[in-house]
Amino acid sequence: MTPTLDAYVILSAALFAIGFLGVLVRRNTLVIYMCLELMLAAATLALVAFSRFNGTEDGDVFVFFILTVAAAEVAVGLAIIVALFKARQTVQVDQLDSLKH
Amino acid sequence: MTPLSTVLGVLLAPLASAALILLFLRRHGGAAAALSTLAAALVAAGALALAYGGVPVVAACEWLRFGSFAISLGLKYDDLASLMLAVVGVVGLCVHVFSLGYMRDDAARARYFGGLSIFMFSMIGLVLADNLFMMFIFWELVGFSSYFLIGHWHQRKSASEAAKKAFIVNRVGDFGFMLGIILCYWTNGTVNLSALADSAASGHLIYSRAIPLLLFCGAVGKSAQLPLQVWLPDAMEGPTPVSALIHAATMVAAGIFMLCRIDPLMVPPALTVISWVGTLTAIYAALCAITQRDIKKVLAYSTLSQLGYMVAAFGLGSTDAAMFHLTTHACFKALLFLGAGAVILGCHHEQDIFRMGGLRARMPVTFWTFTIGVAAIVGLPGLAGFFSKDAILVLAYEHNPAIFAVLALTAVLTSFYMLRLWKLVFLGAPRSESAEHAHEGGFTLTAPLLLLAALAAVGGYTGLYPASLGRVFHDLPEAVGPAHVVILVTSLLVLVIGAGSALAFYAAGAADSLETRFPSVFNFLTTLRNCFDAAYDWYVAKVQQRVAIALNFLDIVGLAGGIVRGLLAGSVEIVGFGVRALHTGRLSSYVYWFLGGVVVLWFLAAGVL
Repeated sequence: MTPTLDAYVILSAALFAIGFLGVLVRRNTLVIYMCLELMLAAATLALVAFSRFNGTEDGDVFVFFILTVAAAEVAVGLAIIVALFKARQTVQVDQLDSLKH
Repeated sequence: MTPLSTVLGVLLAPLASAALILLFLRRHGGAAAALSTLAAALVAAGALALAYGGVPVVAACEWLRFGSFAISLGLKYDDLASLMLAVVGVVGLCVHVFSLGYMRDDAARARYFGGLSIFMFSMIGLVLADNLFMMFIFWELVGFSSYFLIGHWHQRKSASEAAKKAFIVNRVGDFGFMLGIILCYWTNGTVNLSALADSAASGHLIYSRAIPLLLFCGAVGKSAQLPLQVWLPDAMEGPTPVSALIHAATMVAAGIFMLCRIDPLMVPPALTVISWVGTLTAIYAALCAITQRDIKKVLAYSTLSQLGYMVAAFGLGSTDAAMFHLTTHACFKALLFLGAGAVILGCHHEQDIFRMGGLRARMPVTFWTFTIGVAAIVGLPGLAGFFSKDAILVLAYEHNPAIFAVLALTAVLTSFYMLRLWKLVFLGAPRSESAEHAHEGGFTLTAPLLLLAALAAVGGYTGLYPASLGRVFHDLPEAVGPAHVVILVTSLLVLVIGAGSALAFYAAGAADSLETRFPSVFNFLTTLRNCFDAAYDWYVAKVQQRVAIALNFLDIVGLAGGIVRGLLAGSVEIVGFGVRALHTGRLSSYVYWFLGGVVVLWFLAAGVL
């Protein structure tokens, strides 16, 4: 039995919700970052599924762009987190509040 | 050189000199003096060459444009300008040369000569301006240089206060001048002098009483007419050559020059006002001069009085007579002031005429040139003042007997106070240590006196002037028939009465004969002199100051306290309080806000909200 489109969309929505919840509740920048990537993956999954079921290539093209941009983003984002850790010895977001204080 | 480049050279040479002095020569008094005098010599040479060339120059370029409103900078070098330029150039050169000697030991000599150069530039720009806006700019610049030079000895409190007083009183008049320019532009659409004259000639000019009277306010301030005359006597705090150049010969005459420039705008009611203001100033200042003890203040009030003559002549309808008296007055009053400067320097900075005396033998060159100056101002026949004053008396005789009577009385007073001055300074025995040891100055002091004495002697013969200058006087009032006899008898009579009574009345002693013999008259004249200052003091202290205090209270309590601190700052404070609550500094709370925003957007996109 092949999965239906609904199953893919539900899975994608669940992944997105998990990622978003992670961004909301976690305190570690690295984990937040992984959750962001999870949301990105959820979107990618939805696009691939739509592309597959519509029989067009549009979604696949988007996915290529998302993968490229995500790779670049990971490089920059991880570099920022490493630099942040070097400067502050912490990546806990509730301690990174120098804009407020 | 073309006439245009000569005119530009005459205008810009003093500016270049002033700029070089202020930038590079502030600590080099000798070099600054030489440079400034060189610039003045160039101006004099250029002005005379242009006058003998006699070619009018008109040139203009656009300076600013706001939509349809354009301000141009332009030169209008015609006969009137050439006469004024020649006066400024020649008197300016004499004063520069005199200053070389007079200011030799001054510590701030470079600043002084830089100021003189700024003044020469401003004055020449004022003379050459082809529209009222440009004239106003240079008008303010001469006001500034006057302020600058009156306050040259700013260590003296009286000098710095006199400088401020001159500037502020002039501002009062200048405000009227500015309103007049704006009104002229509004009604006629132009402030170009040639355009105004053309439209007057072709009958298209829109006349109004307000325009000439408002413009006259500027002349009242600058030429120190009633009721703004208070600054000029105080301006004598400046160095004496400055008084000669700015506060006797040229700048204060700029008001008369400006009136002659705007002659096409004049209407009869305005002319009546102008003639009476001039006449009253003439008699008032002559009365004030009688009680003065300071040699420069006597001359200052005499200047006021003669300026009143010029204004009256203009008001009676003759620009020629006004400009003629301006020219001769510039010669003999510059001579008298420079002579006073030589006396002051010779007596080691003694200015009280009751502490002088006996200078005739000690300072012969000064004595004889000063005597020529006195003879010229009182109108001894054959000298400059005789012709120009007679022209004004003829004019008054023909047009207005009342003004004629007042001006004739003023002439009596003029010869009275001038002969009083002359007798007390030069005749009798020295009355102080400093007068005892008075001595003649060097060549730089005597040469300008001799040149100006020659001009004061022959300045009344209009045939001697270059053709272009002479054309300004082509329409001088001349008495014919019985009027001729009346005028001649009057002018000789006033001379004899005034001079004779002064010579007989004043003893060459240490006390004022008028004060000792007629104290009530003396006190009356002193009160008359002080009443304007007292009135202004009262106004400033009792009215203006109280209004200012009330406004200050409104400002602090109402504006600053109520509106700014209460209303504006309060509302900002409340908003800030709310916004500060949002700014938690925690990333997750921002993400919640983000989530909320996304939800709202979603609802918006779905059309629910």
